[in-house]
Amino acid sequence: MPAAQLVSSGIERIINQLLKLDASSVLLLQKLSNKQLSVDIHELPWIFKFSFSDQVDVLTVMPDEELLSDCHLALSLSTLQKLKDTSQITRLIQNGELVLEGDVAIAQQFSQLITELDIDWEELLSKYTGDLLAHNTFRLGKKLIHSAKAKANRLATTLGDAAIEEKRIAAPAILVVDFCDQVNELRSATDRLSAKISRLESQSTLSPNKQSN
Amino acid sequence: MSNSQVPQSEHKTKDADSSNIPPIPQEPTGTGEDDSQTHFGFKQVDKTKKASMVADVFHSVAAKYDIMNDMMSMGIHRLWKRFTIDCSGVRAGHKVLDLAGGTGDLAAKFSKIVGEKGQVVLADINNAMLKVGRDKLRNKGVVGNLEYVQANAEMLPFPDNYFDVITIAFGLRNVTDKDKALASMYRVLKPGGRLLVLEFSKPQSEMLSKAYDLYSFHLLPKMGKLVANDSESYQYLAESIRMHPDQETLKAMMESVGFEQTTFHNLTGGIVALHRGFKF
Repeated sequence: MPAAQLVSSGIERIINQLLKLDASSVLLLQKLSNKQLSVDIHELPWIFKFSFSDQVDVLTVMPDEELLSDCHLALSLSTLQKLKDTSQITRLIQNGELVLEGDVAIAQQFSQLITELDIDWEELLSKYTGDLLAHNTFRLGKKLIHSAKAKANRLATTLGDAAIEEKRIAAPAILVVDFCDQVNELRSATDRLSAKISRLESQSTLSPNKQSN
Repeated sequence: MSNSQVPQSEHKTKDADSSNIPPIPQEPTGTGEDDSQTHFGFKQVDKTKKASMVADVFHSVAAKYDIMNDMMSMGIHRLWKRFTIDCSGVRAGHKVLDLAGGTGDLAAKFSKIVGEKGQVVLADINNAMLKVGRDKLRNKGVVGNLEYVQANAEMLPFPDNYFDVITIAFGLRNVTDKDKALASMYRVLKPGGRLLVLEFSKPQSEMLSKAYDLYSFHLLPKMGKLVANDSESYQYLAESIRMHPDQETLKAMMESVGFEQTTFHNLTGGIVALHRGFKF
C-alpha cells in the first residue's frame, strides 16, 4: 500500500475539514490560489507539496521528480511550532533551523491560514445538541479549564515557597540574580588577570633577547 | 520498484491451477482471420464488436461504478490514483488529458491543481460513464477548466503536441487496439510531456497471485451481483485483467510507439502497476 499517499490523504482531509469550519479562511486561501508550497520535514521520509485552490491538495514529491514549487521549506518538527510567530522566520533562517527558498510570502500566508483558524466549536456542537446544551457544555468546559489553571498556578506558588522558605533547597530569585552578577564580575576579573599574565609573559621572552644584543 | 521478468507467453498461457478458475486462453497468432479477432475477457470476438461489448459493460455498471470500486479495492484505488497524480508532475497552467476518465476521480484533482490557466479534458468512449462523471464533478463544484469529450482512445480528436500530461487509469485493457491507442496518445502529447498508465497487472508473488485469482473469479462476480445486480460485467472485469499485458510487455509496447525513459511501479504487490513514459 502506498504509505506516503495514505499520510498525504489524511493530512489533506484534516486541513480541508478544518478550513470548511471557518468561513473566513476562504479569503486567506484565495491569496494562495494557484500557488504551490513544498515542505520537507526532516523527521518524515517524504516531501509534501501543498497545492492551493479553493481547497488544499496535498501531493507527495516523488524522489525522481524535480522539486518545482513557488516556495520550499525544509525544517524539523520542533521548528514547525516556532513558525506560528511569523516575525521569527528571519531568526530561524539565520540559525539554520529553517531553509526557505522562493516566495516567503507563501509560507507566511500558509502559516497564517493554519494558525488563524477561528472555529466556533460551540456553534458546531449546537447543531447536534441544541443551543442550550452546547452553551452549558462549553461554559462548564471553560470554567473547568480556568479553575484547573488557577489551581496549577497556586500549586506552583506553594511548592516554590516551600522549597525556598521552608525546606531551603532552592534560592530566591533575587539571590540567583546577585549570584550571577558576582560570577560575571569574577569572570571579568579573571579575564583581566589572564590578559596581564600574557602581557608579562611576552615581555619576559623579549627582555633576554635584548640583553643578548 | 521491482521489474517483473516473466515472459509474455508465460503470462498469457498460465493455467490457473487453483480451484475452478478458468484457464487463460492463448492469444491469436496474428495470421489470416485471427487478425480480425481480439479478446473480450476470455472470449474471442470480432475486433469490430469489442468496443460495443465493452460499452455495454460500462453502460451497465456506470451508476454503481464508484461504490463498486470502493468495495472491490477496499478503498485502495484512491491511493493508487493519488500515486498516479504524485507521479504526474502536474503544475498550474498545464493541459491534462484524463483518458477513459470514467467518473472523474483523477480529473477532479487535476482541475484543482492546474488552476484557471490550465485545462483538463475528461475523455471517455462511453457516454454513460461520461454523464455520471460530469454530474458528479459539477455537484462537487469542479467547473471552469474542465471539459468533457466522448472520444475513442485509438483516434484522439486533439491536435498534435497538445497535452502536458495524459493519464489513463483502468482503461487501457478495454481498448481494442492498444498499440494504436498508445500511438495516438504519443501524438497528442507535447515534447517533454508524460503518459501515465494505471492498470491492473501481474502480482509479483505466487501466493498473492493465487489469493487474487480466488478473489476475482469467485468473490468479485458475487459482489457485482449483490451491489450492481450484474455478475457478468464483473466476470468480464476479472477476465480482462488476466488478458491484459504484464508489466514488462506493456513497457515494451510503450517504447515501441516512441515513449522514452519508460518505467513502471508495482503497487500492492503488482496487482496494479503504474507505467510512465516521456515524449522527447
